[in-house]
Amino acid sequence: MISLARKYVAFGKAAWSNMLEYRAQILLWMTGSLLMIVMLMVWLGIAADQATVGGFSAVDFTLYYMLGLVVRNMTAVWASWELDTQIREGTLSPQLLRPINPIHNHIAANWVEKIIRLAVTVPIAAFVIALTPGAKIDLSLGALAAVAAALLGAWAVAFFVDYLIGLTAFWTTQTSAFIMGFYGLRIVLSGTAAPMQLFPAEFQAALTALPFRYMLSFPLEIALNKLSPEQILSGLLIQWAWVAAFVFAVAIVWRLAIRSYSAVGA
Amino acid sequence: MAPQISVEDLSKHYQVHEKDPGLAGSLRAFFARKYKTVKAVDRVTFNIDSGERVGFLGPNGAGKTTTLKVLSGLLYPTSGATRVMGFTPHKREAAYLRRFTLVMGQKQQLLWDLPAIETFLINQAIYEISKADFEATLKELDQLLELGPLLRKQVRKLSLGERMKCELAAALLHRPQVLFLDEPTIGLDVTMQVRIRDFVAEYNARYGATVILTSHYMADVTALCSRLIVIDKGRLLYDGDFKALIERMAPYKIIKLQLPHPLPEGRLAAFGEVQSSEGLNAVLRIPRARATETAARILSEIEVDDVTFEDPPVEDIIRDVFAGGLIPTEKTP
Repeated sequence: MISLARKYVAFGKAAWSNMLEYRAQILLWMTGSLLMIVMLMVWLGIAADQATVGGFSAVDFTLYYMLGLVVRNMTAVWASWELDTQIREGTLSPQLLRPINPIHNHIAANWVEKIIRLAVTVPIAAFVIALTPGAKIDLSLGALAAVAAALLGAWAVAFFVDYLIGLTAFWTTQTSAFIMGFYGLRIVLSGTAAPMQLFPAEFQAALTALPFRYMLSFPLEIALNKLSPEQILSGLLIQWAWVAAFVFAVAIVWRLAIRSYSAVGA
Repeated sequence: MAPQISVEDLSKHYQVHEKDPGLAGSLRAFFARKYKTVKAVDRVTFNIDSGERVGFLGPNGAGKTTTLKVLSGLLYPTSGATRVMGFTPHKREAAYLRRFTLVMGQKQQLLWDLPAIETFLINQAIYEISKADFEATLKELDQLLELGPLLRKQVRKLSLGERMKCELAAALLHRPQVLFLDEPTIGLDVTMQVRIRDFVAEYNARYGATVILTSHYMADVTALCSRLIVIDKGRLLYDGDFKALIERMAPYKIIKLQLPHPLPEGRLAAFGEVQSSEGLNAVLRIPRARATETAARILSEIEVDDVTFEDPPVEDIIRDVFAGGLIPTEKTP
């Protein structure tokens, strides 16, 4: 365990130095987060004429999208793009020679990237929330713990789904199409375009069962006091069941992938 | 004792799909792909003992790299058995991955945008090398390869030769017992080729590490390896002593003469086959068995300024091997 931690530190340090080489690139990637601000404007416009929209007041929308900005950046994952490139260009080979699964390098790099993303988004969110009259986060200790568990779960679902999609590059050159397709679904179904509660009632059961909600909306729903303790508990169970399922799937697919990997550029 | 590396009846076949050119071809390929089997390695067998330096020789696409990738656990063999240090490479056990290295001249493990030392530190953690061992090994590699200031320069700013020195060092920090070197000198100038070659020889001598080297520079192989494995089109053509190959494939010696004054060609033909004769320079091909006796005769019978004896160029020999694939197993004098 200690030696694994040391390996993460080593990967993390290198990822950090690498990131500093490409600061501008990361800031550019983060422009995707502007979507949260755009959606906030849209919903504030709609909410301007009425007290609440589907139970969301203007203050709720502000809290939802500003916290959402932070959560979105905590769950941003690019491992699939990197895997796709590494597999197609054969640069994965040197990594496969090392006595450690390359996924650890991807995880460490992803965590390090969070430092910059949070350094930019947390102050923005804090500033906007502080300036919004009536906006405050009022949570019990238990709810805070639930938010923490849901955030970690959200990262894990997002990371392992993304990694699973990246692994398809072992068999197909269409991986980037899958990534984009999944990204589109994620925007609609995870609560980015609109909070889950605003979807028609007949969709709620499906949204609760699918993994998308657990990548963004779920921790926000807890933070905004929209869920009962029973709903929080069942949500955490479903979320972590998805985490387990995707970790398992990545492990199995990785094994199959290595078997069929033919080290492109032989 | 079992050999350190054993390869028995190894085959690696790839399925590649073929496409006719043009739009129609693409469409046809989209609906019904045609597959062709390529035998990259075809029933190859050899054993290598600990500490040996073996040269893998063959033209592009011969199956050299594929064989090394199978031995490194990067490729699953189609059939056959491979064992290295008691491990089955394609099982990719961590204990095995810690004990060998594969250096590919055309692929790199060094992080492109960072100084090489950063990759070294990652490897220190991954291979669980203690600080003391890491520093000692780095110092030795620094002495042998003169890494010095290179370690702190961004990898992308290094020259090809400098980068290869750093690649080798990165690959050897964990003191592997088996080195697979795939074209380590590709693209390097002659001086750097010699440096890398000397280094490999020195590393082998110091640590008794086993080395398999592929190259299409003949000089790499002749300078480093006493044993040669020649493969072409996936098949093993020759495995054995380098000298023996030359003797088998080239049962003659080349005698070059420099004469004080021109001689008629007929006079030279009395000693052996005249390959060329121009003014004061002449080249003769003499059967190996009669070379010494002929040389003595030349020296006593005609006046010469200078005589040199040579084996035919290795390139020619290897070309003959690839061209004919004929390796006489029993040479009749």
